[in-house]
Amino acid sequence: MFSQQIMNALAIGSVYALTAMGATLIYGILGILDIANAGAYLIGAYLGWYIYYATGSLAVAFIGSIIAVGLLGIVLQRYIYSPILAKPHTLSIIPLVAAVGLFTMSSDLVRLICGPYSKSYDYDFGVTSINIGSIVMVPAWILIFALTALLLLVLWFILNKTKLGLAWRATANDNEIARVCGVNTNNAMALSYILGYGFAAAAGIMVGLLYNSITPALGEVPSYKMLAIIVLGGLGNPLGTVLAGLIIGFVEVFASAYASFPIPKDAIAFVVLIIMLLIKPEGLMGRKNKV
Amino acid sequence: MLEIKDLYVSYDMMEVLHGISLKVEDEELVSVIGPNGAGKSTLIKTIMGLVKPTSGQIIYNGEDITNVPAHKRASMGIGYVPEGRRVFDKLTVEENLLMGAYELKDKARIQENIKMVYDIFPRLGERKNQLAGSMSGGEQQMLAIGRALMLNPKTILIDEVSMGLMPIMVNTCFDVIKKLNQQGITILVVEQNANKALKVADRGYVLETGNIIISDTAENMRKDDTVKKAYLGG
Repeated sequence: MFSQQIMNALAIGSVYALTAMGATLIYGILGILDIANAGAYLIGAYLGWYIYYATGSLAVAFIGSIIAVGLLGIVLQRYIYSPILAKPHTLSIIPLVAAVGLFTMSSDLVRLICGPYSKSYDYDFGVTSINIGSIVMVPAWILIFALTALLLLVLWFILNKTKLGLAWRATANDNEIARVCGVNTNNAMALSYILGYGFAAAAGIMVGLLYNSITPALGEVPSYKMLAIIVLGGLGNPLGTVLAGLIIGFVEVFASAYASFPIPKDAIAFVVLIIMLLIKPEGLMGRKNKV
Repeated sequence: MLEIKDLYVSYDMMEVLHGISLKVEDEELVSVIGPNGAGKSTLIKTIMGLVKPTSGQIIYNGEDITNVPAHKRASMGIGYVPEGRRVFDKLTVEENLLMGAYELKDKARIQENIKMVYDIFPRLGERKNQLAGSMSGGEQQMLAIGRALMLNPKTILIDEVSMGLMPIMVNTCFDVIKKLNQQGITILVVEQNANKALKVADRGYVLETGNIIISDTAENMRKDDTVKKAYLGG
C-alpha cells in the first residue's frame, strides 16, 4: 500500500512539475506570471485528443500537440506579451491580467468549439496493470514517468549543454548584460514559450490519459496550483520547480490516503506553500534578492 | 574613433544628460570624472544602446550607431565593463567568458581568447568552474574585464572600475587598463576616483549634473585648481 502511494505520488508530482515548468521558464526570462500556461495545458489535451482520434497514434498526438501548442506560445509572446512589456512604465500586473484573460478565453473557446461534455481518450495500453513485486503499476503511470523524464532530460540538455541554453541562463540572470554580449533576448523569450507551452501540452495529454477524461474545465485547478508550485520552487528556477511539483504531489497523495477526515485536496499545495514561505521566504531553490 | 554629438538623455521625463559632446580618438585613453549622479553611467549605457537618447548622435568609426540595437553593438568591436561588475553570478567563470564570446563562431579562437584572459588574470583560470557569484569583488571585476576582452574589442567602455574594491585591487585594475591601452585598445573610463583615472588617461572630461564643464589633457587637469579642489582632494 505504501509503495503504491509512492508511485501514485510520483505520477501526480511529475505532471505538476511539467505543468508548472512552462510558467517557470517564462518567469525566468520575462519576469511575468503567465497563467495562460494552464490554457496551453487544456488546449494541448484537446488537440492531442483530436489528433489521436484522427490518426490512431498516441505518439503523433503527443508530438503534434506539443509542437502546435509550442508555436501558439511563440505567437502569444510575439504579439501579446512582448508588446505589452515593451511599453514604458508597464505595471507588472498588466501582463498578469492579460494572461488571466487569455486563460479564460481559452477555456471558453474550448467549451464552444469542442462542447461542454467530457471526452475520453480510451487508449488501450494492452494491459490494465503491471505487477512489479508487490506494487501494482497502472500503465499510464509508466508512460508519465518515462515521458516526464525524457522531457526534463531534453530541457536539462538544452539549458546546460547548448549555446542557446547558455544564452537563456545568462538572460535570466541579467537581461541587460546578456543583450550587451550579443544575445537577441527575443530568442531566449521564444525558447521559454515554445518549451513552456509544449511541456504544458504534454502534461495535459498525460492527465487526460491518467483520468481518461478531459473537460473544458481541465485548466482551472492547474491555473492556480501552478502558482503555488513555481513560488515554492523559487520563482524561475527549473530544478526547484521539479522538486516543488514532487513535494506537492507527495503531500497531496499521502494526506488524502492517511488523513482520517476529509481534506480539501486542492488547497494542500497552498498550505505547504504558506508553511514553506514562513520558514524559507525565498522558496526552495530561490536565492535572496540582491539589488 | 568614438564620437558623441550633442547627446540628450531623459529617464522618466527627467533630463539626465543635457547635450553632451565628446570624442575618443583611436588608441586613446580618456577618463570622464564627476560626482555621483552626474550622468556618467547613463552616458556609457547610452553608448552601449541600453538607454535610448532623446536626441543626438553616437558615431563609431564613421558610422552612426545611435539606432543600432544593443545586441548588435558587441560585434562592432565595443566591449563593456559595467558598473558594479554585473558578472552572471549564477554562471561559472568559464561560462561568463563564453558569454563574452557569444558573437564568435570560431571555436579555436574562443579557446585562444579564454587562454589569453587566464594569462592576464591567472586567478580566473584557477577558478574557472566556480560560480562567479561566489568570488570576491576583485575577482569579479577581473572577470568583468575578461568578459569584455573575449571579442578582441577595438574599444572598451569601463564604468566605475574602482567601486567597492580594496585599494590594492583598484591599482591592479588600473594597471591592466593601462596595459590594454598600450596594446592598442581605445578606452573610455568613467570614474569617481578622479586621482587614478587622470593618472592613467591621455585626456579627461569633467561631467557635472549632465553637462561637460571641463575638457583638457589629463596632465593639465591634474594641475587645474577647480579639478584639484573638487575632485583630487585639494
